[in-house]
Amino acid sequence: MKLKKISACLLVSAMTIAQLVGCGSSATTDNAGGDAAKSTEAAETTAADKGSADSAAAEGTSTVSLYATGSDNVRAIFEELVEDFNTNSEYASKYQVKLNFQLSGTGAAAMTDGLAAAVKADQQGDYDIVDLSGDDLSKVVSQIGEESLVKLDTSKMPNAAHVTAKSAIATDYAQPYRGTTVILAYDSKAVPTPPKTVDELVEWMKANPGRFAYNAPGTGGAGDSFARTSVYNFLPEEALTSSDASWVDKWDEGFSYLADIHQYMYQSGGSIVYPAKNQATLDLLNQGEIDMCPNWADMVLSQRASGAIKDTIKITQIQPSLTGSLQSLVIPKISDNVDGAYAFMDYMISDRAQEMMLKDMAAIPLVDTSKMDMTGYEDLQTLDVANFRLMSIGDLSTQFNERWDSEIGSIG
Amino acid sequence: MSKTLKTNLVAYALVFPAFLVVMLTVAYPIISAVIQSFQDENTGAFTLDNYLYFFTDKAQVKNILYTLYVVVVTVLVALVVAYLLALYLRFVKSKIAKTIGTLYLLPRFVPAMCAVFAMITIIRDSGVINRFGLMAGQDVKLGLMYHASGMIVMNLWFNIPFAALMITAGLGAIPDSIIEGARDVGASKLKVFTSMILPLSFKDVIIAGTFVFMSNVGSFTTPYLMGGNAPKMLGIALFDQFNKYLAYNRSAALSVIMFLICSVSAGVYIYTNLKEKEWEA
Repeated sequence: MKLKKISACLLVSAMTIAQLVGCGSSATTDNAGGDAAKSTEAAETTAADKGSADSAAAEGTSTVSLYATGSDNVRAIFEELVEDFNTNSEYASKYQVKLNFQLSGTGAAAMTDGLAAAVKADQQGDYDIVDLSGDDLSKVVSQIGEESLVKLDTSKMPNAAHVTAKSAIATDYAQPYRGTTVILAYDSKAVPTPPKTVDELVEWMKANPGRFAYNAPGTGGAGDSFARTSVYNFLPEEALTSSDASWVDKWDEGFSYLADIHQYMYQSGGSIVYPAKNQATLDLLNQGEIDMCPNWADMVLSQRASGAIKDTIKITQIQPSLTGSLQSLVIPKISDNVDGAYAFMDYMISDRAQEMMLKDMAAIPLVDTSKMDMTGYEDLQTLDVANFRLMSIGDLSTQFNERWDSEIGSIG
Repeated sequence: MSKTLKTNLVAYALVFPAFLVVMLTVAYPIISAVIQSFQDENTGAFTLDNYLYFFTDKAQVKNILYTLYVVVVTVLVALVVAYLLALYLRFVKSKIAKTIGTLYLLPRFVPAMCAVFAMITIIRDSGVINRFGLMAGQDVKLGLMYHASGMIVMNLWFNIPFAALMITAGLGAIPDSIIEGARDVGASKLKVFTSMILPLSFKDVIIAGTFVFMSNVGSFTTPYLMGGNAPKMLGIALFDQFNKYLAYNRSAALSVIMFLICSVSAGVYIYTNLKEKEWEA
């Protein structure tokens, strides 16, 4: 019995091996013919590669390595811009941009950290040009100093003359190319003449209780900006960009102002409510439950353009204004293609690129928009991009949110 | 190698991956959270402050009571409605009952986020109900949004099908024969219900209740989108501590508190199960 089993096993394994060998040998023979064909193919490709390399050398294109980070819509627009730069722009024959994109989230810190590490290690040629938000720019400057960036020579970027907006930090080292800001979104049907100043806004709130809402700070940038500027309007302008803990003691006046206007906010079921997230206040506005709310300009305009919200919703800025941010490009000194980087910078502030960003993400153009097709985005022309109010209070924002939750959010 | 040892080794090898996963993803985080909850944020020294904060800070005490209120109301209403539904499905043999029997599980297959937004669209002050009201000349403002009542409505939407499923299974296990037997000897319908059906299905009701309770204590999506600013459900309070205030030790303490609240319900569950074992023995 046992013998039978063993012999059966042996037989099976022998057959399997034979089959494998058979297959293997036939495969080898097949390959023999295939290999010959392949080698000629390979020769052809090398020739072709060489040909293209030769032609590339003749045309003199060199690679520019671009680093950027952000959410997925930012990735999409960057891919589109890079593609356009590489094929259609006046620089296409000289430079080819290679995009290295990191989706925001856990990787976002890594991009600036990676840049800082490369600069410290003096690693040439990886970071030719880098896209940075206002916050990231200040982080980079504090990590490696603005002296590790190339001081920009505007004569190398003809289009820079049209851009009036200046970065608040590292002004001579960063080229802003798009911006966004928190604005007041309002339903023009209900509010024919929107307030122009904070005082007028408060007057309006008192006259129309329950028709204004801002989202709870910490749940979205619009509410953050509204609550923070409300408090910081009582402080000197320099406080807005300081993370010094001494300013915390001076918040009282602003918080009592927020407590004062609390009673005029949106109500549901008989109590005051601050919805969570920017989108929630925009939904309330769209549904006609409120007439005005702070929100991001790009968010409102792109949703209006896509038909997600009513056409009657318009945007306006009040004085002192709500805060925004500028997105900038910088060239690290470790770049080994500075001219290529300048070329891409120049492209990004060209009318063509600016219009692409406007249409795709409602990014506020920083160039003269009179020659652009602004259909659907006319409101942007009323915003003064040269005077974006920037805010970065660092870790104080955590304390700020906690205090807001316990003092304002809990009034009920 | 003896045969039993071999079998044992194989058994251990089979269990080991699962054991490892549980240890790494359940046991380890729980232990480290408990340790962290007793540590001072800055010095790491032993302290009870993280817990004291949640039981002394007025807003936090309110949050805990508010959560218990929402959860207990959800459990009670869900059980009553689910029980009635289950009774109907078990004892009424009609086409409508059959259709309901297949449809009532549908909410379980709708992604939570979609369900919450659908509910918001319907019950908000400018929602579907309001619009129908306006057509009839009535400005109906339910005022459910950003209040406990709105969240409870949403929780019921999620939990009634689940509770009904469990209770229906329990009721299905009661044989028709004993009910017919009792009826034959002259028991009234009410008597059959109070002394047979209810006691026989009570265990399932309790178990359904414990599940509904536990799944709602830590709920996040519904209160985040439908809840107000204060008081908050504990899931949101925990999110605030962790993401907004970056108070990791307090977050750990709140996690432990929520764990303890849930373990009361887990205790009830285990007790109910053990009791049945006794009865079987």
